[in-house]
Amino acid sequence: MARKISMKQAINEALDQEMARDPSVIMMGEDIVGGAGGNGEMDAWGGVLGVTKGLYAKHGDRLLDTPLSESAYIGAAIGAAACGMRPVAELMFIDFMGVCFDQIYNQAAKFRYMFGGKAQTPVVIRTMVGAGFRAAAQHSQMLTPLFTHIPGLKVVCPSTPYDTKGLLIQSIRDNDPVIFCEHKNLYAFEGEVPEGLYTIPFGEANVIREGKSVSIVTYGLMVHRALEAATLLAKEGIEAEVIDLRTLSPLDIATVIESVEHTGHLVCVDEANPRCSIAADVSAQVVQAAFGALRGPIQMVTPPHCPVPFSPALEDLYIPSAAQIVAAVKRSLGGGRH
Amino acid sequence: MSSIGLIANPVSARDIRRIIANASNLQIADRVNIVLRVLTAAHSLGVEHVLMMPDNGGIRALLQRHLARGHSQHQRWPVVEFLDMAPTSSVEDTLKATRLLRAAGVAAIVVLGGDGTHRAVVRECRDIPIAGISTGTNNAFPEMRESTITGMAVALYATGRLSAAQALSANKLLDISINDGAQRDIALVDAVISSDRYVGARALWKPENLSAVYLTFADPQAIGLSAIGGLLHPVGRRDPGGLAVQLASAEAPATLRLQAPIAPGMVRTLPIAHWQAMPADQPFDIVSDGGVVALDGERELAFDAGDRVQITLRENAFPTVDVARCMQIAASDGLLRLSSTH
Amino acid sequence: MTGNPFPLGKPELLEAYRKMRTIREFEERLHVDFGRGDIPGFVHLYAGEEAAGIGIISHLGDGDRIASTHRGHGHCIAKGVDPVAMMKEIYGKRGGSCEGKGGSMHIADVSKGMMGANGILGAGAPLACGAALAAKYRKKGEVAISFVGDGASNQGTFLESLNLAAVWNLPVIFVVENNGYAESTSRDYGVAVDSYVDRAAGFGLPGVTVDGTDFFAVHEAAGEIIRRARSGGGPALLECKMVRFFGHFEGDAQTYRGSGELDDIRANQDCLRKFAAAVTSAGVITAGELTAIDHQVLGLIEHAVVQAKAAPLPTAADLTTDVYVSY
Repeated sequence: MARKISMKQAINEALDQEMARDPSVIMMGEDIVGGAGGNGEMDAWGGVLGVTKGLYAKHGDRLLDTPLSESAYIGAAIGAAACGMRPVAELMFIDFMGVCFDQIYNQAAKFRYMFGGKAQTPVVIRTMVGAGFRAAAQHSQMLTPLFTHIPGLKVVCPSTPYDTKGLLIQSIRDNDPVIFCEHKNLYAFEGEVPEGLYTIPFGEANVIREGKSVSIVTYGLMVHRALEAATLLAKEGIEAEVIDLRTLSPLDIATVIESVEHTGHLVCVDEANPRCSIAADVSAQVVQAAFGALRGPIQMVTPPHCPVPFSPALEDLYIPSAAQIVAAVKRSLGGGRH
Repeated sequence: MSSIGLIANPVSARDIRRIIANASNLQIADRVNIVLRVLTAAHSLGVEHVLMMPDNGGIRALLQRHLARGHSQHQRWPVVEFLDMAPTSSVEDTLKATRLLRAAGVAAIVVLGGDGTHRAVVRECRDIPIAGISTGTNNAFPEMRESTITGMAVALYATGRLSAAQALSANKLLDISINDGAQRDIALVDAVISSDRYVGARALWKPENLSAVYLTFADPQAIGLSAIGGLLHPVGRRDPGGLAVQLASAEAPATLRLQAPIAPGMVRTLPIAHWQAMPADQPFDIVSDGGVVALDGERELAFDAGDRVQITLRENAFPTVDVARCMQIAASDGLLRLSSTH
Repeated sequence: MTGNPFPLGKPELLEAYRKMRTIREFEERLHVDFGRGDIPGFVHLYAGEEAAGIGIISHLGDGDRIASTHRGHGHCIAKGVDPVAMMKEIYGKRGGSCEGKGGSMHIADVSKGMMGANGILGAGAPLACGAALAAKYRKKGEVAISFVGDGASNQGTFLESLNLAAVWNLPVIFVVENNGYAESTSRDYGVAVDSYVDRAAGFGLPGVTVDGTDFFAVHEAAGEIIRRARSGGGPALLECKMVRFFGHFEGDAQTYRGSGELDDIRANQDCLRKFAAAVTSAGVITAGELTAIDHQVLGLIEHAVVQAKAAPLPTAADLTTDVYVSY
């Protein structure tokens, strides 16, 4: 029986163990150690939410605190990867991608292709996603669609500590650039995690709950909302199958289609804003590949088309709830009648 | 109308001594500020027109940005006119600008630069007084001075409130001749014989190839190759004669070793064979297997074993504005007092 | 004048000339062929800037990395990328340096430490910092060079990289190739103060300004800066003032230039002519030896064009390969 640790601890453990195993792994980011250049203690933070605390004591100068300049240090991580290292860079909040996006989507993502297969960029960019922290519009987004859209990038967004550790180790060992999304509201969530090193392949969705009435497809924090919704639906005799995508690029659409083929109903839940979301992407792929299997309209459950609000009263309305997912399932089963 | 000339070198203090010695880099923005202080100070004492060397090194562009902002209650400038010449970003610009300023008959030339810049100006013009402001690396020749005061002193002379006898000082220089005048050049502070014949990036900073140093004056507080003389046997700018120092060689063994600051932050030990006074108008013959004569720190004239190289010190060779004396007289003669009973 | 007054031996001088001449003829030929409509897309030619590229890159080995600009052919040739493969790449053919998938603006050869020409100005600066970081961990005294132009020196990535390099003491050298124009916009407009060593000074980094059309000045300054970086002395900036013979891209009518400016550049600021004059008047190399190299280079370029025109185009099967290492 594996011990239970939090997602935050699972991340720390993955980084620690993989750094111990592979000397080419280095880390960089703002305050991933904390205290640099000051009169207080080093490792003062270990990351803004303490995720990387303790790693400095074990791995020393393989952890680099950076100045406040994402373009430079994310770019440096990418350049170092192109020269044979395996850097894990932290983009503190995915919302900050705007100040360094070129290095990610025009440089890292495209080197292999533009250089005719003669380059590889094994960089991991760890970044915090998601709402619910009352952190407001510029620190709460789920920008996974923007990265998923780019050929050359891989996008990972785990929902459990077990998946987190395995997928992060996989990400570090992967030879392509990976955006590893950590939901800030899941850091404290605990689950069973093996003590040793293990990997989970990309492009393999996890059918986290089996059911025959409806396929609920989602990722990240919404997996837990979907499971809550499934519990509520079960009381009414509706058995929902919940599929955790785990990696958005590569996407395991085959598992989704196989599920829809036996449930006939699809609800996509996504914490990203609705336009061009993962929900829209999955829905369109399913319609194209399995239209005949559908016995009701696909439903997408997302926040509205607005920035993340600050006030807790509003933010709680913004984030999709289990009740909204239940309603969506019923709409799908009811043939689209409200 | 009294006009003054202004030559501001954008590329002085930009060479590899920034890398191999921790030499300072005076930013273009600061050079422009120096120019603006000269302009406003000179204008306040009656200079209406300044003729300036144009450049492609950023000084003209930034200066024009400032001048275009217009006059304010605190700042008024003379008319600044740029000489009609196309900059080439080489010493040719300084030479050509000096010729044009001479032809235009300016009363004085303010020079922002290092030893090399001042040397280039004097090469082209020995009669118009120059007022030097140091923005170079060693700055053995131009004095460290606040440019506001330089502007004021030059203005007092240019507008005739100070006579030439009051305002100007006589300066020495070295005449260098190869093969009886086939090649000629001058140096304002030092002419140094080096066996390093490479005439590429011009700065000379490797002491192991030096064989002799000839100096018009030797200030113990200067850096650069003239420090070799300055710390052996100081000679003032207005003292008669100069100094010739022979460094040790196979033929002339060292009689002592001298520590001298030959570049910013760089104190090196040099083997000295002997030194002697260098009287005016007495040619010194160089005995060497070939090399270069570096003039005021820059490798300039290459020569071979069979060439006849002579160095002669000249006194009273060119005038400079003696800023200290100008301001002293301005104070003692009350030149800057404005009263209705004056 | 007897003997060799230059700090390079005769073989090195001949090699430098050969490389500069190779860049010159490569670019001049592209100018002609592009004008005829033979070449797809955009090309940005390095002709006139050879002394800077060779003067700097001749100090580097394969383990040293460079990150280039959109105007990258000269950097590629200097770094030892095969000109035949380059020509094929520019023609979009299989067997090109990037199998036809990058084109002129993205030619790379990581095996030679050439991290790519880049279509995003300034993007190479952080990448070069990364290469320098990797070099630091490798502890072999290797360095990285970031090339930017006077225009790209205004990009945030460049300024951030100066700071990062200073803070981490990276063995990276920033080279500003100041040819006076960012596309059609003169530096007198677009750059607040036309001095890049002054920008470096703001981050505590030393800098040197040299005449980029003087191979020996560039070579000497670059040598000192690179030597310093190799021994842990940290980053620095080298500004090369230079001229480009052609437009920003091929097809640029260059009406932003002053009248006679291009003629004056060709007549008075040709770095190859200056180099040739220096080595021949010093009696180290004869005009005949240089002319022999000129002929060989023209032969190589002709061969490259013939090979490029004959090479096969990539097919539909190549369209989606090499997006990832594995997917």
